[in-house]
Amino acid sequence: MTQESTEGEAVMDLCVQEETFHHCCQLLLQQSEQLRDGWSWESVQGSQVGYLKKTALRSVDFNSSSVWDQVGSSSDSGSHTVCRQQQQEKSALVASYDSDSIKEDIADDDGVCAVSKDSREVLQYEYHILYSCSYSTPVLYFRAFTLEGRSLSLEEVWSSVHPNFGIRLQNSPLNTITQQEHPLLGQPFFMIHPCKTEEFMRPVLQLARDQHRPVNYVLTWLSVVGPLVGLDVPLMYFTLLLPSPSLLSNTKPN
Amino acid sequence: MSDTAESPTESPPKEEPPKEEPAPPAEESATSEDKKKIDVLLKAVGDTPIMKTKKWAVERGRTVQSLSQFISRFLKLDATEQLFIYVNQSFAPSPDQDVGILFDCFGSDGKLVLHYCKSQAWG
Repeated sequence: MTQESTEGEAVMDLCVQEETFHHCCQLLLQQSEQLRDGWSWESVQGSQVGYLKKTALRSVDFNSSSVWDQVGSSSDSGSHTVCRQQQQEKSALVASYDSDSIKEDIADDDGVCAVSKDSREVLQYEYHILYSCSYSTPVLYFRAFTLEGRSLSLEEVWSSVHPNFGIRLQNSPLNTITQQEHPLLGQPFFMIHPCKTEEFMRPVLQLARDQHRPVNYVLTWLSVVGPLVGLDVPLMYFTLLLPSPSLLSNTKPN
Repeated sequence: MSDTAESPTESPPKEEPPKEEPAPPAEESATSEDKKKIDVLLKAVGDTPIMKTKKWAVERGRTVQSLSQFISRFLKLDATEQLFIYVNQSFAPSPDQDVGILFDCFGSDGKLVLHYCKSQAWG
């Protein structure tokens, strides 16, 4: 799929061909090994098809007390009061700032709202990066378990989305995080829907192209979607020199 | 480090939060290093509104999320809109990342350039 840029000059691909996806994954893997970031390539027996995989522990602060009730009684749900929504609203009210400076009180973590330590839980996440043929983009699949091995419900996953991505996502995320059968493993996973990928890749691909800066499509894509679900991409991926100067995305000026 | 307005005809006075403002609640983890400020230059991408003031002095310890919220409020984005921020024209920083660290890694000419773009929110 190609799109005209706003200038109407060059044509820029906002998607990625499967071969390029593989190439990007291999480069990511090389960097991951250098950085000990834990990614591995899993391939389906007897075929080229595969995916990147990583497991990690994540400390999650559940945002909704209703979810907390589902999780169980071991925590003190009564003291888990303020969810991020209230926190953000409070920040907005306090921030009567003068237009030309950032005031100290515009902070999302000023300690204004006391969140009980009990509301944090350490979870085990497993992330898979697959290629979607229908969207021609990478797709992030994941599953999450408590340390006791209980799988998270969809509601719990929605409540553990990073608050940076809006109350709307936490409350009505149907279009974004869904339960899907893993295309290669056939097991139930959660998936971040790829429909917005072009939209958030467009600005950065345009910027990179304008600066003649090589971009690893998969790595850049991951830097946007990963944080939604607790997967931060270490900065070192972007400070290390890329191993090869060849174009890693499909941005090609005509 | 001072706040600088974009207009070349003005010489705005150095702007800092007024001293009589009540001190923010002390954070145990905030160090004096976190309070140091770095210069950030904000650049709009696409048809995202351009901020009247583009250059800001930001505390090192402020997170990308906090800065993103500030820009969103400044631009009066509504709940259906999401702001994306890009560093080094090549990736998106984690919302929990300190801007000070980004400045250390990707700053040049004494400033950190951040591109921002508004889009339809997830959800």
